[in-house]
Amino acid sequence: MKKRGTGLSCTWYGTGYGNGFPDVSSAFVEIHDDGTATVLTGAVDVGQGSSTVFAQIMAEELGLNPEDILVCSGDTDVTPDSGTTAATRQTYNTGNAVLKAVRQAKLRLQEFAARKFSCPSPEGIEFKEGMIGVRGDPSRSMPLSELVWEARLLHGERFISAASFTAQTTPVSLENGQGAPYWPYAFGCQAAEVEVDTETGTVRVLKIVAAHDLGRAVNLTQAEGQIAGGVAQGVGYALLEEVELTEGRIKNPAFAKYLIPTALDVPEIESMIVEEPEDTGPYGAKGLGEPAMLPTVAAIINAIDAAVGVRITALPATPEKILAALAEKERGGSGD
Amino acid sequence: MTSVIGSRAVREDAWGKVFGQAKYPADVNLPGQIYGVVLRSPHPHARIRRLDVRKARELTGVAAVLTASDVPHNSHGVLFRDQPVLVSERIRMVGDPLVAVAAESPETAREAARLVEIEYELLPALFNPEEAMRPGAPALHPEVHGESNVLYHLPVVKGDLAKGWASADVVVEQDYSTQMVDHAFLQPEAVLAQVDERGHLVVQAATQYPHYDRGEIAHALGIKVSRVQVKTLSVGGSFGGREDISLQLVAALLAYRTLRPVKMENSREESFYSHCKRHPMTMHYKTGATREGKLVAMEARIVGDAGAYASWSPNILRKAAIHATGPYEIPNLRVDSYAVFTNNPWTGAMRGFGAAQPVLAYESQMELLAKKLKISPVEIRLRNMFRTGSTTATGQALTGSVGLEECLQKVAPFLWKEGDRE
Repeated sequence: MKKRGTGLSCTWYGTGYGNGFPDVSSAFVEIHDDGTATVLTGAVDVGQGSSTVFAQIMAEELGLNPEDILVCSGDTDVTPDSGTTAATRQTYNTGNAVLKAVRQAKLRLQEFAARKFSCPSPEGIEFKEGMIGVRGDPSRSMPLSELVWEARLLHGERFISAASFTAQTTPVSLENGQGAPYWPYAFGCQAAEVEVDTETGTVRVLKIVAAHDLGRAVNLTQAEGQIAGGVAQGVGYALLEEVELTEGRIKNPAFAKYLIPTALDVPEIESMIVEEPEDTGPYGAKGLGEPAMLPTVAAIINAIDAAVGVRITALPATPEKILAALAEKERGGSGD
Repeated sequence: MTSVIGSRAVREDAWGKVFGQAKYPADVNLPGQIYGVVLRSPHPHARIRRLDVRKARELTGVAAVLTASDVPHNSHGVLFRDQPVLVSERIRMVGDPLVAVAAESPETAREAARLVEIEYELLPALFNPEEAMRPGAPALHPEVHGESNVLYHLPVVKGDLAKGWASADVVVEQDYSTQMVDHAFLQPEAVLAQVDERGHLVVQAATQYPHYDRGEIAHALGIKVSRVQVKTLSVGGSFGGREDISLQLVAALLAYRTLRPVKMENSREESFYSHCKRHPMTMHYKTGATREGKLVAMEARIVGDAGAYASWSPNILRKAAIHATGPYEIPNLRVDSYAVFTNNPWTGAMRGFGAAQPVLAYESQMELLAKKLKISPVEIRLRNMFRTGSTTATGQALTGSVGLEECLQKVAPFLWKEGDRE
């Protein structure tokens, strides 16, 4: 018989290296003759999309399109150290470094523009859709490309900058664990709907509803992508994957025997972005990379219990374990 | 309001990836390159009695056969340099690298590796962390980590447990365990290393942290950081499995010794042995709540199998301890978290980094408590969850963004209620 059930899981995740370890990212910025710009960071885009996030931050600050930004990443001959692509830290940490750096270069451009437009303060200069000018006075504005060209080639101005950002963290006590090890924290909840076949013990995940608080989504498509990938990885962790060892030897070092989810195993995913802005993050952003995969496992395990009344306490929830638990329940053992 | 932020800007690497033009390390080659392979240990714990590479070196087409004595500073590691580039004497896990070979073709390199003669003295091995942590168990890292296999222990203590248990109307107690898993990134490790026209060592790879790799290469080879370039190409997934340095060190060593470009590419099987795994953890949980569904006490013991080398294990078991309550306020608690050496494959960073395993335990406990108290899974979480101003198990005040309740409100309508089940 096939039985269905739903399950819930709530999780949290401290981002950054944590425990007082210096968590520093750096960025170099240069604005070019035609108003386009380059940002250099050591941050590697491992597929999660950090390079696009940095292009968006630069574009946002300079009133450009992300395509106008060259992002150069992860080459030790030219880029500064921006730490590991890990710990859900690149949007927050390196994003903050990029923001800090571009604002420095931007300020010099604003100062030049303020003099040109007889505006008493650089703060009155805004960047919008490829134009630079005095806020609220369209008669005092010009294409950014022309202004940078003039500033650089006629006046010898240079718009380059370097900045570093350090996340806040303190070590925990080795006696009692007290301390403020991480900042910021990301949160997420997922609900799973599963179908359990009581004859074969197989579990099909039908749907995952995922709500994640990431502070602010810099790129909605990429945030949804992180959630989809996290859910897929969570399904594998809950139901399929296990490195099997015999005396320290891996028995299944091949994808024929080490099973990861295929397109057929990945359920319908409904992702919902919760934006509770974080004051210290770039535009309020925290992070999503790791948090996206955390709730899936327990949501599935709780849904299995709701469907057939057995509690799996050892991952992965293989058909063998589910059949054994069902048989145990049949014999009158405790399901829970 | 901003416009580019929050948009659906197209990934800057989208076109190259869609059209198959993106270059991964396996895609780059240089004229005159040779091919490197690593001979790895078949035994989990052993001493190398005799290592004879003469036949391998004599094979036609072989450019170099290197052993531990060819590595200037033979150690690496993210926290402790306790992992050898090539094992000199003591093998601690199946897959430990023993010999590096480079030859005119990958086939010749593999054939030469088969000609290496090794005599092992097999040692009793530890595969179970509970056994490995007992006093008297043979120490796996006496030189770097002392006489105990307990690499790390963190207690997290808060409030008054006796008072907590006394005020609990219901208690649930249960053992949980999570398995060892692999990152299973689609692109196995590959690297191209060369000494360029400047005399600099240039290493092209897929890594999560090129500046770290540069430091490890400079250290192992005894050359200046300014003479090493690590250039990251497209990365085919990582998930933590490209944090410890992998083939980059061996390729750099072979290129430095032969002055020829060296290409290395793992098979899937080799890949399984050349990066860390996710920690299997055993977790004993006891959680108590009042009749009203307020959590009042928790005790947890978490043991993580660090495998043969430290990697990030202390940080990962620390993270497990810190996150052990789940996103809930519990006033009285004690958590003990341990990282223990064994002769299993080494474990390290993987997406979730120690905060992934306890989810199974703390979210199962919440479910069991809700059942005992006959309240809904949503209700018990609402009564205990972190909000702005909450204090965590480590005494940290959550002063900023805490959007958990909104997340729960969003998913709650999808859960079936009592009676919804057919």
